Amino acid sequence: MKIVEVKNVSKQFGKLKAVNDISFSIEKGKVYGVLGPNGAGKTTTIRMIMNIIIPDSGEINIMGESNLKKINHKIGYLPEERGLYRKMKVNDVLLFLGELKGMKGKSAQTEIDFWLDKLELTEWKKKKVEELSKGMQQKLQIIATIMPKPELLILDEPFLGLDPINTQMIKDIIMEEKKRGTTIIFSTHQMESAERLCDEIMLINKGQKILSGTVSDVKSQFGSKYIQIAFTGDNSFLNESQIIDHYTEFGNYVEIELKAGNDPQSLLESLVSKIKISRFEVMEPSLHDIFINSVQGEDELGRME
Amino acid sequence: MNIKTLAVVKREFLTRVKTKGFIIGTLLLPVIFALLFGGVFIFGALFQPKGQDITIIDQTGRIYGEFTTLQNGTLKNGEPRFRWSEFELGDATLEDTKVELSAKVLSKELDAYIVIPSDIIESKVIAFFARNVSDMEGIHSFRRSFSTIISNIRLAEKGYPADEIRSEMAQGRVNLETIQVTEKGDIGKNSVSNFILTYLLCYILMLFIMSYGQMVTRSVIEEKSQRITETIISSIKPIELMMGKLIGICMVGITQLLVIAGFILAFSLYGDDLLMKAGVEAPKLLDIIRSINFTPVLFFYFIVFFLFGYLIYGAIFAAIGAMVNTEDEGQQFLTPVMMLNMLSFFVMFSVAKNPDTTAALWVSLIPFFTPVVMFARISALDPVLPSGAFISIFTTGLFLYGLLWMVAKIYRVGILMYGKKPSLKEALKWIKY
Repeated sequence: MKIVEVKNVSKQFGKLKAVNDISFSIEKGKVYGVLGPNGAGKTTTIRMIMNIIIPDSGEINIMGESNLKKINHKIGYLPEERGLYRKMKVNDVLLFLGELKGMKGKSAQTEIDFWLDKLELTEWKKKKVEELSKGMQQKLQIIATIMPKPELLILDEPFLGLDPINTQMIKDIIMEEKKRGTTIIFSTHQMESAERLCDEIMLINKGQKILSGTVSDVKSQFGSKYIQIAFTGDNSFLNESQIIDHYTEFGNYVEIELKAGNDPQSLLESLVSKIKISRFEVMEPSLHDIFINSVQGEDELGRME
Repeated sequence: MNIKTLAVVKREFLTRVKTKGFIIGTLLLPVIFALLFGGVFIFGALFQPKGQDITIIDQTGRIYGEFTTLQNGTLKNGEPRFRWSEFELGDATLEDTKVELSAKVLSKELDAYIVIPSDIIESKVIAFFARNVSDMEGIHSFRRSFSTIISNIRLAEKGYPADEIRSEMAQGRVNLETIQVTEKGDIGKNSVSNFILTYLLCYILMLFIMSYGQMVTRSVIEEKSQRITETIISSIKPIELMMGKLIGICMVGITQLLVIAGFILAFSLYGDDLLMKAGVEAPKLLDIIRSINFTPVLFFYFIVFFLFGYLIYGAIFAAIGAMVNTEDEGQQFLTPVMMLNMLSFFVMFSVAKNPDTTAALWVSLIPFFTPVVMFARISALDPVLPSGAFISIFTTGLFLYGLLWMVAKIYRVGILMYGKKPSLKEALKWIKY
């Protein structure tokens, strides 16, 4: 079942095409990453899904509904522009936001206590929001988003401003939510996070979809494999071998990219007799590399036009 | 009202009512009003004058005795208010004596001296020399005493019996009782106290409409500037949020009004006892307080017109809040609207004096003026309802409906707009979205 369906959606602000004919859909229970550099159109896309910005053209259906108002209690949204009532106490803010999602007094309080404990904020329960650090406020927002047990979770840059420990904590929570069956969309420009969390990704730049699919699809489609070898012995093979496209030396090891159509296995075979290998590893390209390559490629294309 | 709107109402109400500022303010407000209202008298009682040494140069030689008998008041502690002494000129000239006495006044040996010229009967001018010549009450009382004495002398010179004339005049003094003729019968009413009540209530009304309207602006701007809006809007429709805000803040106002109404009621019931005990001797004030007639019906209309005023101005203020990013930016739009509200207060002054004229009726039907002006007419004519009272409730209700519809549209677009503040023209375009 498709939870989110976005068809040919475009949005223009003045002369700027913020989102240009983007389509994608998300299956129930999947984690979907919207990736892209700053200003690529990630937040605009998400705001259109949330019906905060009305698209100029195209169609968006959430859980089969085009009118979000009917189902907004099933959606948890962490906006990029986020803040809380500074003068309110932590517990009161959460109760209020819970009530807005239709949670009721006692059960809401149980949930709040559970989450405050889980995210190590219990001792701040009676404090005013303004007394909390930025990171703590961020965690508070995440609690408010996840606490009502939404079926669809939309997180715009959820790791922004978090230290590595808290980032990990949020990643764990996202994975737990996934296990619960929640469909999750999040936007980020942190590629490692996306690589580890997402079932599917979409990379956008300048309002356009550049690539999309499962992480492994994207990798096999857009990145070539490369090989890392740590060795002792004569390194002349690097220039002699017919199947090596190019290489980079890193002191302790070299990184090799093979010519198209060649198998790492055959390289290994040819090397065994020539050098002493301490490590031979076939590396998948990281999303980070694909991201940089694609975005730069786009930009060069743009310059050529 | 749905549960989400109710949650907003609850939040807006509780976060405000629970603050120390609100509790102190609400309790302090009646005290401030009491000080404004009876302050002059209470302070008058607190700051008792001290006994004064005054010398009189009586060049006629026949006024000193009578004057000091008339001015024989005592202070609270039983000591005389004035310690009189007569200065005999003897051989000294008046000019020299005045220099001498002025020096004594300056060195605080004396508080004042009075020169009664020998031709006083004709000239009718007496000079009062003192360090402090701003004790209006004291000077007024001296003038009265001198006038009595001089007119008595003049009457006697013409052969009229002064005492007899005076007592006749005193007996001939008349009181004008004001009685309002109404369909419910004739009602005795003190026009001064009625005007004071109308004035006071209208002042509170205007003040509350203004300050609670501004509270709406602040509340909207807070959500905008703290970037809370998107979080909230993902759960609730903008119009529900706006209505929840308007209702919640309104309830704070009504809570505060109930406290103040209770105070005014208590003051009109027990005020004179209280002031008597405090030792205020101002019979006029006590009369006014005694005849304040703050009825539950009047209070009901007060609440109705507070609601109207608050909703009209609060809705406009909400739209302004949604248009701007900071309170400073909002000021530029707020000022003209607040002037409109103040204007209704000034219009009220003339309307309250002539509440039953055609002009008063028309002015009170202008929606922006209706709350204060129509209420002023109701209060001034109480217990009779002025013409157009029900019509005004109907027209204002209709106006409000249209206004809220328009404001909701501006609000919906505005709260999600960041960056440059729009011109009024652009904001009005949002209505079409």
